[in-house]
Amino acid sequence: MEEKVLQIIKETFELATVDKTCSQKTCEAWDSMGQLNLVAELEDAFEISLEPEEIGQMTSYDDVIRILKEKM
Amino acid sequence: MSKFVFRNNTVERFFGKEYSFSGYDDISLIPQDADIYVWWYQVPIKYDQQVLADEIGDYAQKLNFVLSQIEPTKSFIALTMDILYFVPFTDDDSRLQQSVANYNNALYNAEASYNNVKVIDITEFTRNYTAADLFDWKFYFVSQMGMNPKLNKEFKVWWERKLSSIALKRKKCLVLDLDNTLWGGILGEDGIEGIKIGGDYPGKAFLYWQKALLGLSRSGVILTICSKNNEHDVLEAWENNPFMVLRQEHFAAYRINWTDKATNIKALADELNLGLDSFVFVDDNPTERELVKQMLPMVSVPDFPKQPYELPVFFKSLVEQYFKVYSITDEDKKKTEQYKANAARAKAAASFTDFASFLESLHIQIGVEAANEFNIQRIAQMTQKTNQFNLTTHRYTDADVRRFLDERWKIWCISVADKFGDNGITGTIIVKPLDSERCEIDTFLLSCRILGKGIEIAFIKRILSLLESSGFKTITANFIPTAKNTQVRGFWDKVGFKCISETEDGSRNYELSLTDTDLSIENYYHITIK
Repeated sequence: MEEKVLQIIKETFELATVDKTCSQKTCEAWDSMGQLNLVAELEDAFEISLEPEEIGQMTSYDDVIRILKEKM
Repeated sequence: MSKFVFRNNTVERFFGKEYSFSGYDDISLIPQDADIYVWWYQVPIKYDQQVLADEIGDYAQKLNFVLSQIEPTKSFIALTMDILYFVPFTDDDSRLQQSVANYNNALYNAEASYNNVKVIDITEFTRNYTAADLFDWKFYFVSQMGMNPKLNKEFKVWWERKLSSIALKRKKCLVLDLDNTLWGGILGEDGIEGIKIGGDYPGKAFLYWQKALLGLSRSGVILTICSKNNEHDVLEAWENNPFMVLRQEHFAAYRINWTDKATNIKALADELNLGLDSFVFVDDNPTERELVKQMLPMVSVPDFPKQPYELPVFFKSLVEQYFKVYSITDEDKKKTEQYKANAARAKAAASFTDFASFLESLHIQIGVEAANEFNIQRIAQMTQKTNQFNLTTHRYTDADVRRFLDERWKIWCISVADKFGDNGITGTIIVKPLDSERCEIDTFLLSCRILGKGIEIAFIKRILSLLESSGFKTITANFIPTAKNTQVRGFWDKVGFKCISETEDGSRNYELSLTDTDLSIENYYHITIK
C-alpha cells in the first residue's frame, strides 16, 4: 500500500521524486485543488469512499497511510 | 496556447494544465492575453426556485458583458447548462427548467451574434451517466464541485473531441465492405434476392444503416467500396434490388475485386487524391481489418458489431469518433459529386494527344474572390484540412482569418469549375504586407481535387499581378516541409522565385522581384475577379 500511495502522490502532483516526508507543507502542488485530485485518485485506486472529515485530515503522506489503514 | 475558463463552480479537474480559471462566478477580471475562452456555468444550489431562476438569468447577462469585453477575433466556447440536482416542491413548478432553457437560448443567441462564439451542448456528455454518477454531494461540500470529479478522464476525452470538431479535423473518406457489412448475407451465394436488406429484421437493420450512411455522405463524407466480390454481381444488385438505398452513384470510387484490401485502399487513396490518414475502413471480417491495420496503420479501423441490431449504436460512435464537425459548409455537401467528376476528367485526359488541348477542352473557369463574410469559414477550414498542396501548413481558425483582415492582410480564395462540374472554393492565398513595397505570402494552398491542370500556376500568377497593381514590388514566400507536402517543395522555384536561404530542416525562404517576372497566363484559363 505504501508504494502505491507514494506512486499516486507522485503522479497526482507531477513530482520528479517523492518520499515519505511529503506533506501539504513541503509540496507546492498539494493545495486544495491538489487535495481534491488526490482524494479522487485514492478512492479509485483503493476502491474506498473517504469521508469529508478524513479528507480534511489528510495533509501529509503519514496521514494518508494512517487513514487508509483505518479504512481497510 | 493559453486558455481561460469562466466558471461558477470548481472545474479545474476537468481541464489540462494550459487552462487558468476565473474566480467563482467572478467576471471582474477578464484577461486579455488568453487565446481561447471557455464559459462553463453550472446550476447553482438554491432551494428557493425563484431566486435560483433569477440567478441563472443573471448568468446570461454576465456572459454578454464578458463577450463585449473580449476581442472578437478570439475563440469563445460556451458550454450549455444541464440540471444535475433538482428538488421542485410541486410537479407543476417548471421555473428552473425554464430559466435553464432561457439561459441556453441566450448562449445560442450569442453564437448567432458573435462570430467567435461556439456553443457546445453539455448534455451530449451528461446523458451517458446517471444522476448519481454526475453529481456527488460529498465533493460538492468538500470542494464545490458541480460535477463529479471522478468523471474527469471521460470528460477530457469528450472535451478534446469537441475542440477538434470545432477545429474541423474530421476524416474524409469511409471505405465500406459489402457482404455482411452493407447488407446481410453473401451476394455470391445468396443472390440478389437472397441478401438481407429491407423487410424484417435483420434486413431492416441494414436498411437503417444504409440510410444513416447516405445521410453521412450528404454531409460531405466520401463513401467508397472495397469488397471481395464479382463486380458484375454487385452492379446488378445495385441496379435491381429494390430495397437498396446506397447504389453506384453514392460511391465516389470502388474496388470490387479479389485483390487484397490494403492494396485496394491504397489505390482508392491515389484515385481520390486523398491521404490515407483521412480514411476509415469498415468491414465485418476481423481478418481483413487486421490486415489493413497492419499494412496501413494510418487508416482508422473501428471494430464492427457482431449483431445487426447494434448497427445504429455503431453508426453513432463512428460519427462521433471520426466524422463530427462543428458545422458543415455547402462545399462539404457537394464532395462526392466533385470526386466523381474528377474520375470522369481523368478518363477524358486519356483520349487527348497533347495536354494543352485537353486543358482547353475542359473550359476551365477560375474565380478569384477576396475574403468576405461568406467564405471566411471555408478559408479557415481549408487551412485546417489541406495537407498535400500546402506550402506552409499554417492552421487558422475563422477568428484568425478575421483578425488578418483587420490587420489589412490580403486574402483571396479560388473557385474552379469546368465542363464536368463545379469544384467550388478549393484554394486560398494569404498575403501579409511587410511595407508599402514588400509583402509575404503567408499561406498558399489548393485542394488536391483541382491539381493536375496547371491551375496552381495560373492562380498564383494572377495573384502576383493583383499585388503588382497594388504597388508591391518584392514578394517573399516560404516553403515549410511536412510529412505530406513534398510535392510542392519545388513550387516557388517553378513560379520563378529565387531561394535565398534554406535551413537544416528543409525550410526555404524565397524572394521574387515583380518587375522582371513573366506573369502571362495561358488563355485557356478563364479567370474572373469577383
